[in-house]
Amino acid sequence: MKHKLIFLLLILLPILLSAATGCDLQDPDKDVKRLFPGSTGFKTSYLSVAKSGGKALLTRIETALGDKFSGTYETMDVPYTLYHVYKNKTLLGYVHGVNQKGQYGGLQVFLALDPGGKILGFYYQKLSSKNGAKFKSTAFTNQFVGLSLADFKTLDIKTGKGSGRAAAIKNPAGTDKDFLFTLRGIKKNLVLMNVFIYKK
Amino acid sequence: MPGISGIAYKNLRRKRLRSVLTVFGIALSTWVLVSLFGFNKGYEASLNKDIDNLGFQVLLTAKGCPYEAATLMLQGGKGLRYMPEGIVDSLKTNPEVDELTPMLMQTVFDVNKGEEGGVVGYLGIDPQTYPKMKTYLKFNQGNWFTQNDAMEAVMGYEAAELEQREVGDMILIPEKEIEVKIVGVLKRSGTQDDGTIFLPYKTVQQIFGLPGQLTSVGIKVNKSVDITAYEEELYKIPDVQVVSMAQVKNTISNLVSTARVMVMSIAIIAILIAMVGVINTILMSVLERYQEIGIMKSMGATTAHIFRLIWFETIMLCFAGGVIGSAMSAVLGKVTDSVIRYILPYAPTGSLVRIDLALVVRAIGIIVAIGLFSGIYPALRAARIRPIEAIRSADGEF
Repeated sequence: MKHKLIFLLLILLPILLSAATGCDLQDPDKDVKRLFPGSTGFKTSYLSVAKSGGKALLTRIETALGDKFSGTYETMDVPYTLYHVYKNKTLLGYVHGVNQKGQYGGLQVFLALDPGGKILGFYYQKLSSKNGAKFKSTAFTNQFVGLSLADFKTLDIKTGKGSGRAAAIKNPAGTDKDFLFTLRGIKKNLVLMNVFIYKK
Repeated sequence: MPGISGIAYKNLRRKRLRSVLTVFGIALSTWVLVSLFGFNKGYEASLNKDIDNLGFQVLLTAKGCPYEAATLMLQGGKGLRYMPEGIVDSLKTNPEVDELTPMLMQTVFDVNKGEEGGVVGYLGIDPQTYPKMKTYLKFNQGNWFTQNDAMEAVMGYEAAELEQREVGDMILIPEKEIEVKIVGVLKRSGTQDDGTIFLPYKTVQQIFGLPGQLTSVGIKVNKSVDITAYEEELYKIPDVQVVSMAQVKNTISNLVSTARVMVMSIAIIAILIAMVGVINTILMSVLERYQEIGIMKSMGATTAHIFRLIWFETIMLCFAGGVIGSAMSAVLGKVTDSVIRYILPYAPTGSLVRIDLALVVRAIGIIVAIGLFSGIYPALRAARIRPIEAIRSADGEF
């Protein structure tokens, strides 16, 4: 009986391994507390390009990003999960993640933002890379703290070149393409936050 | 002059709310009954489909392999058990075997998966034999591997979606730091294959340093073969264990049987409550019409007439409840499906509740039969009323 149950588990393994889709925090209570240590609670809302403005908005987003949206996670109806973080009734900021195609698999790029749109923290919830440790190191991720969408405005996400503070950040892994995919993910995240929340 | 059915209908309409509540109670019982019958039928069919989709009826694994695999899955550690690849050639000589396919499963721990890392699984398959067994697998993009030992992968629909992979993209095998090219992405199949990353088993052997090793062999036996007898033969092979899909099916059925008994008990209780409700409603009705029934008898109605009248009222209530309940079960089929899925320890893919006309007719038949049975006592009590006593009495009284 026992080995049959385990066999069942085995045949279900692929489903279990692939159960998580979308870009939600894996453990919202723990993750929000880690990103905003002074927080007392959070509220979740679900946004999409389709509901917030449709095709016209998509064009605006693509223009701001400097690239076309493509693939499963960049259709208009993809739901984006936004966590509004509070200390009692005061808004401390937001946590927002996006899926981004990477060199060897999907990346999940999460940003903690203050109410004005400045990055308070950045981390990968998911990353498939030969240089995972370098990309996940605080020496790299902390360089994004304090930046906002304005710092990415002139950044060409296809080359990593530009004139802003974001363009000054160096690839921690030589020529690893995941650097450019990361920049695209962060810029996409900020552009979406701008159209959904900040509306600057 | 109205017939018995007309009088029965008028009588029921006289106390509308009571009649409606009784019908509603019967309808709820019917809903449970139809859903239960539909579940028995749908679950069996869906489970059979899932088992058939595995493509083989018998799985041969290295002895102890599933235990080790479970450990590996849960803890991300240590090795699986293996069997020599040569076993495939010896099995091919068995006349019972129609087709067989070797498989080599490997899992690795990916430190970059989530905050604390996670396990990634790869299934090494034989591109010549595996697709023949899984005929339902169709490609969204690309095709199977170009060579038996190519550094290529085919991804199930959900695996590709999760990793945002397309044909031509690369994936990285963690720990080994080896790049593998995606040559195919499967269409959604609704099976466990949707979340699987397939590689040629020769490639898996090469990447993980396991030349000539397999973790399992899937065997499709000839249709005329007695599978149980063949399994006994397979048990004679040293250091392997046989997992029969029939056994797996039984195991799942056993897992589900507790839930099934629970639902059956609820259905029986619901039917009993409905029965008591029907008896109560009709008895109340008879009690209230004590004098009226007496007058009817004094005017020539026979005991049989009164019995039929009261019995007919019961049947009308049950029939109406049965029809409404059946309609509810059909309309709310998806809700029932979701509730059952939530309760069950394992639910196969596809519809769990299958309702058809024969099933509805059977359920209504059962409800009407219960009505006939429930109506006997009130009808007998009504039929035995003595006209003189009934007319003299101030209140309805037996």
